[in-house]
Formats: sequence, C-alpha cells, structure tokens
Amino acid sequence: MQVFNLQLPSLIRREEEEKWVPVTKLGRLVKEGKIRSLEQIYLHSLPIKEYQIIDTLVGPGVLKDEVMKISPVQKQTRAGLRTRFKAFVVGGGNGHVGLGVKCSKEVATAIRGAIILAKLSVIPVRRGYWGNKIGLPHTVPCKVTGKCGSVTVRMVPAPRGAGIVAARVPKKVLQFAGIEDVFTSSRGSTKTLGNFVKATFDCLLKTYGFLTPDFWKDTRFTKSPFQEYTDLLGKPTKALILEDVERTEA
Amino acid sequence: MEGASAKGDSMEELKGLRISSLDSDSEEDAAVVEENRKAVDVEEEDDEDEDEDLEPVMLGFLEKPEHPWSLLRQSFPSKAGGAPAWLDPVNLPTGRHCVCDICGKPLRFVLQVYAPITEKESAYHRTLFVFMCPKMSCLLRDQHEQWKHKPEQPSRSVKVFRCQVPLSNPFYSSEHSKNDGTDRPSSPGAVLCDRCGTWKGDKLCGRCKKVHYCSERHQRKDWKSVHKYECRQVDNSLQLSNAGSILTKKLWPEYEIVDEDEGEFGAKVTDDSQNNAMSLVSRGKADDSMDSIIDGFKMDIDKRTFAIFEERRSRAPDQVLRYCRSSTAKPLWPMFSGRLPKADIPSCKHCGGRMIFEFQILSTLLYYFGVDNGRDSLDWATIVVYTCESSCDASVAYKEEFVWVQLY
Repeated sequence: MQVFNLQLPSLIRREEEEKWVPVTKLGRLVKEGKIRSLEQIYLHSLPIKEYQIIDTLVGPGVLKDEVMKISPVQKQTRAGLRTRFKAFVVGGGNGHVGLGVKCSKEVATAIRGAIILAKLSVIPVRRGYWGNKIGLPHTVPCKVTGKCGSVTVRMVPAPRGAGIVAARVPKKVLQFAGIEDVFTSSRGSTKTLGNFVKATFDCLLKTYGFLTPDFWKDTRFTKSPFQEYTDLLGKPTKALILEDVERTEA
Repeated sequence: MEGASAKGDSMEELKGLRISSLDSDSEEDAAVVEENRKAVDVEEEDDEDEDEDLEPVMLGFLEKPEHPWSLLRQSFPSKAGGAPAWLDPVNLPTGRHCVCDICGKPLRFVLQVYAPITEKESAYHRTLFVFMCPKMSCLLRDQHEQWKHKPEQPSRSVKVFRCQVPLSNPFYSSEHSKNDGTDRPSSPGAVLCDRCGTWKGDKLCGRCKKVHYCSERHQRKDWKSVHKYECRQVDNSLQLSNAGSILTKKLWPEYEIVDEDEGEFGAKVTDDSQNNAMSLVSRGKADDSMDSIIDGFKMDIDKRTFAIFEERRSRAPDQVLRYCRSSTAKPLWPMFSGRLPKADIPSCKHCGGRMIFEFQILSTLLYYFGVDNGRDSLDWATIVVYTCESSCDASVAYKEEFVWVQLY
C-alpha cells in the first residue's frame, strides 16, 4: 500500500524509488534514453555501477530472481558469536544472467543487497546449436569450462530435447540463462555452493569470450557512448537539484 | 454418387454445394454423419447470425496503468497479471477454491473484469476474477474434466469467481470515486499471503506468528528459503521485515485492461480475407474414398472457422478480451472442434438458473504475459466464461462460475 502525503491530498507524490538520480556518466546516458540496450554497454565493456541502469534497460518484470541459499556465517567476538546472513541470489531472463552474493546482519537486507549485486553483474549468454541450425539457439555454442575455487564446471552442447543435465545448483543458473539443453560435468568440492554457482557463472561468462569463425571478420569500431555524447555529459546537472528543493518547501 | 468419383476438381464442386446435400450421399457410419449434421446445423446458425445485427462486443486491451493507484481495489479496476485487487477484501475464497484441483498448487491470477449490472441493486459493484494453474500439463488434464457432463465435484485447473456488492457496503464509500489518487477504502482488507500476495493469508507461522501464508505449500517453500533464519531473529529483535516479500513473486506482469467498443474498429476490406479463407480451405486431398473427403472437410471446417475468427480479430489485433453479456451472445470460436454447444452450458450451481456467455479471453494475453514458446509452456485458443444470467446472490462472497477452455 502506498502512503500519500496527507497534508496535500491534491498532489500526487511519486514514490521515492522512482526518483533515481544517476551518479555515473553511464547512468545519466541511460536515464536520458541515449542508450537503448544492454548490448551497447557490453560492446564497449563499460562497468555498470548503478543497478537502476539494468532496470531501465531491461524493463520491469523481465528479470526474475531467486534466492539460491541463505547461510548463516559466524564470527567469534569477545562478546560472543556474531551471526550474519549470506544470501546468494541468481537472476535472469531473456538470455542474461546475474549472480549476487551479499552478507548482512538481517536476512531481508542481505537479500535486497544480493538482488542489487545480481543486477550489477548481469552478463549476456551466448547460445548456439548442437547440429542443425533450425529454430532458435538452444544450447551452448561450444564446450566451455569455468572454475572457481576447486570447483570446475564443464558445459557441453547437447541436442534438442536433452534438457539441462546438471546438478540442482547449476541447473537453476542455466534455467535463468535461457539455455534449454546442455550436458554438464563438474569436479571439485561442489558442495560449497558459493564456488559451485560462481563456477557456472564463470562458465557462462566465457561463452561470449570464445573465438569462433563467426568473429573472424574485422571489427568495425564504433564510438564509445561517452565520446559520442560528450557534450550532453558536459552539461551540468544542477538544474535537477534545484527542482527537488522547491518541491519539498512547497 | 459424387463421393465415389471424387477427383481434384470435384472437390471444388463440393465446396460450391450447400453443406446439407453432402449428408444424402454418405456411406459413413452414423456417428460421422451425426457429427457433420450437428456441425451443419450450428454452422448454418452461425451464418444466419452473421447476416443479422450482431450484439455489441466490448474489446479489452492491455495497457500500462495510468497512475500508480489505478490498479488498487478502491479504483474498481479491470486488470490482468500481478495480484488481484479483491472487490470484497474480507471474505476471500479459501481452501479448495484457491488451488488447482489437479496438482494442488495455489492458482495464479490471470485477470479481473469490472462488470457491474446497472439494473441490479445488489450488483452495483461486480467483478469477475479468473485464476488458472500456470502448468500446461494441468490444463491438458483439465480438458478431460470440463468435458464431463454434470460432475458432482468438478476438478478444474481454471477457475472464475464472481463477486458483487451493493452501493452501500462496508468496504467502500457510497460517494463517487474522485479518481485522483485520494480514494481510500473504508476498511482495511484481510491479510494476504506473504509468498504469493494473491490469496488470503489465514495461516500463520507457528513460531513467530508474524508471517502469513495461504497454503501449506507456500509456507514450506518460504521456510526453506528465507523464513528459517528470520523466524529465529524475531525472538532476539522485535522487528521483522519479511524477506520473503522482497523477492519477485511468481506472478504474471501487471497491466490495466482498457475497453473499447468493437464497432469503433471498422471491418477491414473483406476481399483479401475471403481469398485467404478459400485458399486455406481448398487444399484438399484428391482421394477416392469418402473418408478422406469427410476428414478433409472436417479439417476445412476448422480452418474456415479460424479464418473467420482471424478476420474478425484483425479489426483490432491487440485485443485480449471480448465482452458481451447477453442471453443471445455467442463467443467467437477460433476452432470448430472443441467448442461448447449452447445446449451443454450448465446451470448456475447457486441458484439453478440459466448461465449465459459473458466474456472470452484470447491467446494474445500469453504474449503480454511473456509466456515462452516452449513445448510445455501454457497455450490455449480461447477461455470462455459463462455466468449466472440473473447474477444471483448467494451466501458465499466469491461465487464460482463456469469456464470453458478451448485448446488448439
């Protein structure tokens, strides 16, 4: 339920969440609408530091998230045991995945923080075919492997109808990634969920890093968005702050 | 006999003939002839109806809500996806009504239509809520159930509820709503489940008694993922910000349903569409046996019906809902097979009176809900809702109505 300002019933106040004031250059460009898709950001390898960028570009309701695990971790202090909660959140949709890990004193804060970190770490997943190029890509384009800690996860292309042949943990991540069929193989201490999930994430990250003959063509370089919109970024953002002050006084 | 000497060109002849003449020449078993005859009758009816003045149909389109408060229950919205804006916020459906009778999982909210009846005082505010199980396997099993004639306890995976309240009621003020965001309901509603936000949360966590659930299933899932750690915290600290409600709920994306009269959209140029219909229909097999002609004909009826459906729909391709509440109204069937004959519409289980067609949901909704095109993902041709003609008042606030699903 929303709480409206009872002093001014005629004014409709927007929720605070909608007021995103971007702090980074990329954020400003996204808010203005100069950048339309995530792929433009990926093309220039720009770091994403504000989670609202992902929200605006991908749109609400597309990215689903799920808590993989909440583990209580403890530290011994003079005053006793200090417990904190570590939340692992995986999110994804539409060929993208994100993984967020956050530790906090309360479960809710940990989950919230992990969702934000998951949004910040969203990566594109390359999908390909096992055999005939009929329909949409459904599996990994080639054999890839990812490693974190002692856990290595290997993904092998599978024919249609195979489904995701993986353990419960990587299966969740792969489902969010939008991969329909894959064979996996893992090694190492897979019961450490943190490393297991990070290893599959690393594996998915490598799908676009693998050089295949489609990429042999010379790249036609385009201007980085910062270069392209340099005059727009040069304009000061002071006007925005003044507007806010006026509102609160009235 | 025409049938016996059928070749490619006589197929064209057959098309030109009136459908009823086919019956006299058939050597088929009675069943096939019966079905065709039945089909013939209905088709003839349809043809006649199309020539007469049609009932005015309201079309529903999905849009993003205008304001953040447009979809709250005090605005009496018509919406699709998200959580339902319950009309009667206190006497929500419970128990068996909330779950899919086939798999036992709580149903997901599809859409609600605000359809008051001006003539009836007790239905000053009236809303119809549609829920369904998101699993295709349940929908396939549901088909078997819906074809059963007069089952004692229907076990469906798609359910429709009707709720109506008079002008003066304990939930909303009798004055006209100002529609500017300042409306408030007269009393707070019942607490909803923390996991799904759809159904009534009448079950509590046994330990902390702070978190509400609609069903044991949701309680178990929440415990496993989040509440196990939080429940303990309540003992130590007094605050409990429910972490389960932060996660994105498994709900379909939320939209507002905006309605327009179908008459606003003029009929498109019919020449092209008729050619389309004919080209779909004339692709028949040149075979000697009557069987294949009958089969081909049956298939052609399906295609012809679909062509008619598409032509009507093309006037407003974005339409999601077709609303026409009248005793003579008929739904626009996309397929010939799988229709509900008028004679088979059951009677209202609350008052025993007649039930009439009220509205139908088209498969365009699936696109808006972002349902993917996998093998096992949800799909239907149309979902047709029949409601009590007299919109009876019964003891229960949310009365179940009859729903018919047609699959491709």
